[in-house]
Order: sequence, then structure tokens, then C-alpha cells
Amino acid sequence: MKTMLGVLLILALGAVPAGAVLGEYESSVSLDQQYLRAEIRVTTAQGYKFHQITTPNGAVVREYISPEGKVFGIAWQGPFIPDLQQLLGSYFTQVQQAAQSRTQRRGGPFVVRTNDFVFASGGHMRSYHGSAYVPSLLPKNVPAEVVR
Amino acid sequence: MTHKKSSVALLGRLMGVVAGLTLLAGCGGGGGYGVNINPVLSGSNVATVQVNLGPTNNYVNGLFTTVEVCAPGSTSNCISVPDVLVDTGSSGLRLLSDAVPSLSLPSVTDSSGKPLQECVQFVDLSYVWGPVVQADIHMANETASSTPIQIISDPPAYQAPSSCLSAGSSGAVDRNTVQSLGANGILGLSNFPQDCGTNCTSAANGVPNYYICPSGACQIASVPIADQLPNPVALFSQDDNGVLISLPGVPPGGLPVATGSLAFGVGTQSNNALGSAQIYTVHSSADFTTTYNGVQYTNSYIDSGSNVLYFLDSATLGNIECTDAPGFYCPAATLNFTVTNTGTNGTTGQVTFSIANADYLFSTGNAVFNNLGGDSGTSPSTDYFDFGIPFFLGRNVFVGIAGKTVPNGASAPYGYWAY
Repeated sequence: MKTMLGVLLILALGAVPAGAVLGEYESSVSLDQQYLRAEIRVTTAQGYKFHQITTPNGAVVREYISPEGKVFGIAWQGPFIPDLQQLLGSYFTQVQQAAQSRTQRRGGPFVVRTNDFVFASGGHMRSYHGSAYVPSLLPKNVPAEVVR
Repeated sequence: MTHKKSSVALLGRLMGVVAGLTLLAGCGGGGGYGVNINPVLSGSNVATVQVNLGPTNNYVNGLFTTVEVCAPGSTSNCISVPDVLVDTGSSGLRLLSDAVPSLSLPSVTDSSGKPLQECVQFVDLSYVWGPVVQADIHMANETASSTPIQIISDPPAYQAPSSCLSAGSSGAVDRNTVQSLGANGILGLSNFPQDCGTNCTSAANGVPNYYICPSGACQIASVPIADQLPNPVALFSQDDNGVLISLPGVPPGGLPVATGSLAFGVGTQSNNALGSAQIYTVHSSADFTTTYNGVQYTNSYIDSGSNVLYFLDSATLGNIECTDAPGFYCPAATLNFTVTNTGTNGTTGQVTFSIANADYLFSTGNAVFNNLGGDSGTSPSTDYFDFGIPFFLGRNVFVGIAGKTVPNGASAPYGYWAY
């Protein structure tokens, strides 16, 4: 029943592929189970487009797609942290590695910057937000700050 | 070990009192560090809090207090737990199993009678995991009876479920020991009356927070509001509408320790009146707007569990990231900032703060700093300022709990801050 509802919603909104993974083609990933109950909206902007996926429990995930069809950025906001391994794909290992190192930063945002990957996870209990993007995949004339 | 820690804590408290008195004596104009406040309150609703290096002696700007927990209804089956982190960024009391070794507390169960487990994710992919039990919580002369709390377990009875760990169980970092948490527990005193709310009342919502583990395999549980971890203050029989955190100002080079007060209730006693503090109401996610250089950061928050001021990024501020303390700011000369905070009720007010060189500050060996700053992420897409412990130093900061009585009859459906 829930699956039916989800499919109907998505059909009504234009059969948008969801659950795309950072750095991969949007068409390369099949519809994701996690988002079956979600409402999906596509917005076209200057030089890129983004999918906004809103789940019934108030989580919002945005996936930013280049004209070539690649996911160059991911952003999230909601009462819990989404499945980052799923959203970040192969980039998740960089986040995992950074999570192992202990610094004097306590309880604040978690930021990872490498040569071609920028990740930030912040917020507090019941209000989490964050974003990740791949600088080399940014479409021409599109600044990183659109990923939010 | 325990004896040594107690001595250090006592010494720290004495030093903190001395520092507080010195400040009071010399604080006419407020100087460079702090508003003219008295951080040492007295009254039956006041617990002592202290910023120090914590039980692992390495926690910069950690705010700690002591919490007593008892088996429900008991006055003898109790343990007093020191070094519990005071966190206005979460709700609920969570204690390490090692901190309450001899205490047997009844389980909180779901509708099928299975004991509830909880997994709390932090933004750095770390987590705490363990059962939900019932205890009476005592702080100052206040009591929260038969309150759901979490026991952070080491070792855990069940493996933490992968759905809680950003599906990265191999990369997730548990904070289930005093060494990894840097505290004996977390006392969550946020605007939220519970740690999850209606999202967790139905397992179908898929929120990776509360679990049951029949036959050792954990699955998401349906948990009524009353069985979720509350902000314990909300369960007090009086002084239940929020707290006042009052900490002394500190000089630019920091202090080894700073002692202040955690007063329960807002406007309920002579020692927790709002006075000149203004109410900034928050939106449904307990955030407000900070404006800096004409840009609005709409998900800003005040969090005593964040140890420094996390805002913007190094590139935006002129490439001031420390070379040997990544993520912290190391300006050549102290930077001064003025930002404007705006509540959903339209209250606006300026907040000024300074950011000094973190390398220098860390080299002092001090524990308390009002001028430590760090990177919050991908500026300018970053949409928040995180006002951590430095914000609290030299201020009276009130936290109003959603749904409780607001002084002056103001409307604050999601709670408020006042300062």
C-alpha cells in the first residue's frame, strides 16, 4: 500500500528518478526504497537542476544535477541525519576516514575538505542540516553555494 | 584515580569561585570580557556548573555538572554522577553504564513489552547506544520522577543497528566510553520537551532513533511521547519551564576553570527572573536567524554542547585556519565580530564576540575560552552560526522549553532563548 502510494506520487510528479548518488549519473540509480513514501519535486535553475525529496517525517534532501546529468551536490535538512552512505556513494569513505580522527572540536559541525570533495554536517538534535559537493563536477558558472 | 579527580574538581571549583568574585569586584564597565552578571546564584533551584577539562582532562570548553539518579521511588538506591556534560543542543539525560555501575533501573518497554534501546547520532558520524530505563533524577532540590533516561552501554548488549550509523558501521565512532565521550554522560536541556517527538511514535516513519531488539536483531520501535527521553526539567513539579545558565566572563587568554550556575525555571523564583534579558523565540526546529554582513543565516542555534563558536569558514575570513589545529581559526591578530540575532517574534539584538589565535589559546593549557572559533562548513552555503560555550561566558542565558509557561505571557510555541 505504501509502495503504491509512493509510486503514484512519483508518477504524478513526472517519473523522476530519485536516490541519485553524488558523483554519479542521475539515471544510473534506480528508484530508492528509502524515498518511496517521499514527495519529489524538480526545479530547473540557471545551469543546473535539483530534485527536492521531502519525506513524511519532515526530512528534505536535495540532489543537484549538472546539464550532463551528473549529481554534483547533495544537501539535507531535517529531524535526523539521512543515510549518508547512500547519498554520498564512493565519497562516503572520505567522510568515514575523517570521522576517525579526534580533534578539539566537540559537539560542533563536522567539516571535511579534500582536493575534490567538500562536506559539512551541522545542526543539533531534531534539526540537522548539511551539504556535500564535488568542485570538479560543478557546472560552468554555477557557484558551490547553490548546494544548500 | 577517582580520588585524584575529586581533588582536581574541588580545586577547580574553589579557583572558579575566586575568579567569579574577582570579576564581580572589578567588573564595572564589563571590560573586554563579559557583561556585568553574578554567575554564582543561590537558591534551592540552583545547581553548580563548571567549565573545565572534564573527566578525561582534555576537553576544552566543556560545561559539566553533577546529576543524582535513583531507582524510581527510592531514596537509598542512588548514585551521584559528576562530570555530566550540560547540552542545550539535545534533550534527555544519558549516562555511561560505567558511571552507574551498581544501580539497577527498570526498563522502558514498547507496547509488546520489549525493552527500548536508543541510538543517538551526532553530526560527526559518532553515536551513543544503549537501553532506555526509568530513574528519578535529582538536581539541586528538584526532582523528575520515573523519567526515561538512556544508559550508554559499554559493552552494549546488542550491536548498534546499521540504520543508526549513517549505514557506515565500519566508519562510525562510538562515544560509549568516558574516553571517547569526554564526559560521564549528557544532560540535554534543549528547547524541545523530548528528544524525538511525534516522528518516533510510529516505526513506519523510519526514524533511526528508538529500537527494539528481539532475538538480537534490532528494528525501529514505535514509542509514545511519554516514553521518550524528556528534557528532565520539563518533568519537575515546579521550575519546569526552562533553565538559566549563568557563567562568568573570562579574560582573553582564558582561565583554567569557570564556575557558574544552572538555575531551574524561568521567572519562577527571585533568582531566575528575566530582568533585562530579551526573549528570542525559535522556529519549529529550535533555530533562529543570525545576520552577518547582510547575509541571513536562518538555522542558527545556541548550543552549550558545542565547545566553540562555529561559523563561516576560513576562506571567507581571509584564510585563517590553524595549520596544526585543523578546523580552528588562527588569525594573526584578534578579530572582532558583530552579528544580529532575530527571533521569530521579531526581537533583534546585536551579539559581539572576538576570535583569537587558537594555537596560542591551546598553548596556554587553559580550559575556558570566550574567543575560540572554528569552521562551520561550506560557506556561504552554510546557513547557520553555532553559538557554543563562548557565547555563554559572561552572560545570563535562558532556555525556554516549548509548551511551557512563558514569562510576560509571551507566545513561544517552540520555545525561546532569552539573554
